[in-house]
Amino acid sequence: MACMQRRDVLFRGLGCGLAALSPAALRAAPSVLRVMTHNSFDLPRELLARFEQEAGVRLQLVKAGDAGEMVNKLILTKARPIADLVYGIDNTLLPRALQAGVLEPYTGPAASRAAAAELGEGVVPVDYGFVCLNVDKAWFAASGLALPTSLEDLARPAYAKLLVVQNPATSSPGQAFLMATIAGLGEEEAFAWWARMRANGVKVVRGWTEAYYTEFTRNGGTRPIVLSYASSPAAEVFYSKTPLAEAPTANLFIRGGVFRQVEGVALVRGGNPAAREAAGRFIEFLRSPAVQQALQTTMWMYPAEAGAPLAEVMREHATPPTGFDNPDPARMQAQARAWVQRWSRVVLK
Amino acid sequence: MKAPFGAGWLAFPGLFLGLMLAAPVLRLLHEGVAGEASVQMLGVWTDPYLRWRLLWSLLQAGATCVLALALGLPLAWMLARWQFPGRSAVMRLMMLPFVVPTLVAALGVLALWGPRGVLGEPLLAHGIDLGESPWLLLYGNLFFNVCLVVRAGVDALEHSSASQAAAARTLGATPWRVFWRVEWPAIRPWMMSSLCLVFLYCFSGFGLALVLGGQRYATGEVEIYRLVAHELALADASVLALWMLCLTAVIALTYAWIERRLAVPAPGWPVPRRRPRGAVQWLALGAVLGVWLLVCGAPLLAIAWRTLRALVSGSAGVLLEAQTWQALGNTLQFSGMALLLATALGLCHALGVLALDRWRTRRGEAAAGAWALAWRTLEYLPFVVSPVMVAFGLLLLYPDWTASLAILVGAYALLAYPFVARSVTAALDALPVSLVQVAATLGASPLRVWWRVVLPLVRPALRRGMAFAAATALGEFAVSLFLSRPEWTTLTTLIYQHLGRPGAANLDAALVLSGLLMVLALGAFALIEGRGRRSPQAHA
Repeated sequence: MACMQRRDVLFRGLGCGLAALSPAALRAAPSVLRVMTHNSFDLPRELLARFEQEAGVRLQLVKAGDAGEMVNKLILTKARPIADLVYGIDNTLLPRALQAGVLEPYTGPAASRAAAAELGEGVVPVDYGFVCLNVDKAWFAASGLALPTSLEDLARPAYAKLLVVQNPATSSPGQAFLMATIAGLGEEEAFAWWARMRANGVKVVRGWTEAYYTEFTRNGGTRPIVLSYASSPAAEVFYSKTPLAEAPTANLFIRGGVFRQVEGVALVRGGNPAAREAAGRFIEFLRSPAVQQALQTTMWMYPAEAGAPLAEVMREHATPPTGFDNPDPARMQAQARAWVQRWSRVVLK
Repeated sequence: MKAPFGAGWLAFPGLFLGLMLAAPVLRLLHEGVAGEASVQMLGVWTDPYLRWRLLWSLLQAGATCVLALALGLPLAWMLARWQFPGRSAVMRLMMLPFVVPTLVAALGVLALWGPRGVLGEPLLAHGIDLGESPWLLLYGNLFFNVCLVVRAGVDALEHSSASQAAAARTLGATPWRVFWRVEWPAIRPWMMSSLCLVFLYCFSGFGLALVLGGQRYATGEVEIYRLVAHELALADASVLALWMLCLTAVIALTYAWIERRLAVPAPGWPVPRRRPRGAVQWLALGAVLGVWLLVCGAPLLAIAWRTLRALVSGSAGVLLEAQTWQALGNTLQFSGMALLLATALGLCHALGVLALDRWRTRRGEAAAGAWALAWRTLEYLPFVVSPVMVAFGLLLLYPDWTASLAILVGAYALLAYPFVARSVTAALDALPVSLVQVAATLGASPLRVWWRVVLPLVRPALRRGMAFAAATALGEFAVSLFLSRPEWTTLTTLIYQHLGRPGAANLDAALVLSGLLMVLALGAFALIEGRGRRSPQAHA
């Protein structure tokens, strides 16, 4: 393994050109495993290094943008894939990937082991989370306004101009929330609600960062209700600059406002056959206890492995909801694009 | 003068543009068009949503030009004609916004005008929400581009002849009349040329429009990004990209044409500067400088202020993290490698322009002129072609190279090299032919003339172009589309990474890193203005 480390040093040094410049390094050497991920992929360096040592491969992580962009890049490069493995495909995007035929089923132990959330079709679930509304506790305490208890409340004048959401056309949580409203209220009623929300001043932004860091009252914006994740209050505690006893934000679990997102890992059809064995090991690695523990406070998701213990900060500050509203997967696949287009007409145009 | 090796200079940049830009875009266009039974070229104009995107792109670029001229011309005139305390400081700081990374500038604009910004909050209290208006984007455009207009104006006014203005004054013309009848006609081509450039930047701008445009005021370029990356609607994106390209090509051609007409050696006698006289003139100067500070200085001050606040409230630790150092190292390393490549490409491209211009004057044919003009225009190609189309085209064309350093450095260099090419081209245009002829008459070989006469004269422009290229590479927004490997995290991507997670510490870390990025840009800027002050007519 000393050779591996030398290579690593060589690579990171200034002269890293040669090793990386040549595509032969990717093609000929079977010891490279190309893993495509979304930009939020984040695991401790030591864990990844240990995997590289044990599996005898070098990991080449290709971050391909947000999850939707990642799947599109996968579909676009179908004829000559740019990865052997893809992590981060979730239940909203899986139908599109399956339809395009870019994935190959995996049948190893992790695929048959029970999981807290399933994806099906030979895609191994790694983690899951809940897209839901977060509220700024301090703002609601100061204003004296009661927390909304239903989507309908949000459309009332008392809650005018309080909510910011992400555009479903450009953001995964935005799309997830749209799905939840449709599953919770029914298609027609959901779009009627969105029309009322438009009149009531719902703010739409491009992505999560704009919503959370520009519009949310906690970070200097004007909207005390933001579309985020059930784990965000725990992350607020974890990344707080002073120790906090309780989270400054809270989850708002309401009917039609919670979507369960399950993220998984899958083999890419047409990937390098020589890397197939290592790819299987990486899938198993993602379901190993160490990764299942670590991902909770790096990617802020719940572990998919049945019975995996929750990290303390997640246990105390990110209680999962008791229910959620996901549309039927087949219907979601058939309708997703039309729904997003209709949403754009109703809310933006 | 004759460039050694003649048209051979065209080969390197030509090949590079072909492989890194034209081929990927054509490949993606093919992918978009091949799958469709019929492609509606006019669909963009019949769909109200897409039509608005295109029209708004044109509109905001046009509006920026008008505003930039309204603000830039008075300032340029005062800087060129008046001597006042702090004048040289203003001249030095003028180009600073141009080297500020897009992301930092956008954060600065929001810190100032955002819902809780220094000026945005009081406005919001009066019911004025700038977040849902086109003003943020226009303001951001102005922040970046006013300096180009001022710079061009000062250069032009300093080149306009003193004797004409003096004659007009002697004949009793008021200063206003002198300006309209003598000075303005003389500097008009220069101003038009800078406005063309501003229009190009604003029309095909990506980063600023993405962050500041919001939902309603995003430009065509942002729409292409959405269509390609999020919808994989390649046919629609291709049609839109083609229209954008056609429109920018017209502007770029106009610009190159004006610039070639301006390619004359500078005349001698500049108008001497004098102190403003009387309270009115001082007041006017104060007002113009005040507006300039508000547009170009305030966002930078806002970022500096928020960075300092984050630092004193205990977030300095992020500067010591291994991750930050790695990102800093990567940023410097990629910028350095890109700069080398960009310099080589830029020099070759500029020498190619020279060779073709020589060919044109020798042959005197219209065809030769057209080739020379086309090659000149190609200098702007990397500015105007959609970076999204290039990035996705590269994926399709070179799948094995997706995560290779070659593509990454190539992408950086692609976006940075026009600065070198344009700066050197402008300097070569302004080179007095007599010097070269004298050296040749005295028996110097062409190569020797190059080494001893031309290069020393062009060097300030080269350094200036390189500094702009370096500043671009440091904070380039569009390159984040190409950055794929986590160990290649740069400061820009690290800022995004922090802004992608909840928690106060992440926001502060992003601010501190933005401050760091601004300091790096300042370093590049010091290289430009600190030593290269005497570059004769380097438009940025």
